[in-house]
Amino acid sequence: MAEARKSMIKFKPKKFKVGDVIKVDFIVIHPMETGTRKDKKTGKIKPAKYIDSITFSLDGKPFTSMKVWETVSTNPYFSVNMKVPGKGKITVDYTDNTGEKNSKSKKLKPKG
Amino acid sequence: MERRNFIKSICAATAVAAVASPSALLAKDAPKGGNVLTYDAAVVAITGGKAVTDSDKVKLTVPEIAENGAVVPVKINVESPMTDADYVKAIHILTTKNGNARSADIMLTPMNAKGYFATRIKLAGTQDVVALVELSDGSFLRAAKPVKVTIGGCG
Repeated sequence: MAEARKSMIKFKPKKFKVGDVIKVDFIVIHPMETGTRKDKKTGKIKPAKYIDSITFSLDGKPFTSMKVWETVSTNPYFSVNMKVPGKGKITVDYTDNTGEKNSKSKKLKPKG
Repeated sequence: MERRNFIKSICAATAVAAVASPSALLAKDAPKGGNVLTYDAAVVAITGGKAVTDSDKVKLTVPEIAENGAVVPVKINVESPMTDADYVKAIHILTTKNGNARSADIMLTPMNAKGYFATRIKLAGTQDVVALVELSDGSFLRAAKPVKVTIGGCG
């Protein structure tokens, strides 16, 4: 079984209340290979492999989505804002151009 | 501990990636055909030929000089009430000289509360980064900024 791709969801600030607008950062280890670079040893073009689609959901309901191309940096970083409606679970689902699908979740725990 | 190791692995991996030159991304080297669009074609594909207004409401932050063309931070903040009646529907990040002019599109909703998006992109050489913004009323705004990119270790 393949190891799950490493990724992280971060809330900024870490402590927040219902109604606060926080930053939601998502960072993932991914080569974002453009398909235009040559392998120096073999001389062959490295095939394109890049994240092409991302969806942020709260308790299963999407609230932000992205289309991404190979021109985004390796190990990409994405940052958006969100107004905290209450307790819940944030899920980031992402796919790449080869069809690889991944998902990362983090509990949203507002204080007070 | 796990978080610290994760951040360490990102720094190491990104440092390795940073050495690789993104110059192969220049328009002349781009793979032909398929979904790859140059800047003007990408704007038409997004706007359908609609008018685009340069606007101060779109605050685009990029470095004046990119130390590393493989990792250029881009931050966009659009002044908007982000209500159901008036919000930023999408932000399209484009570049003027990369073979593929498109970098990322973000589709926002009022729950985002702010017309904000940040990411890091590759620049094949000195060029403009453009934020093309679609509002909920169907209108388009734009902001563009030049970024100087020095490529290659030998200068």
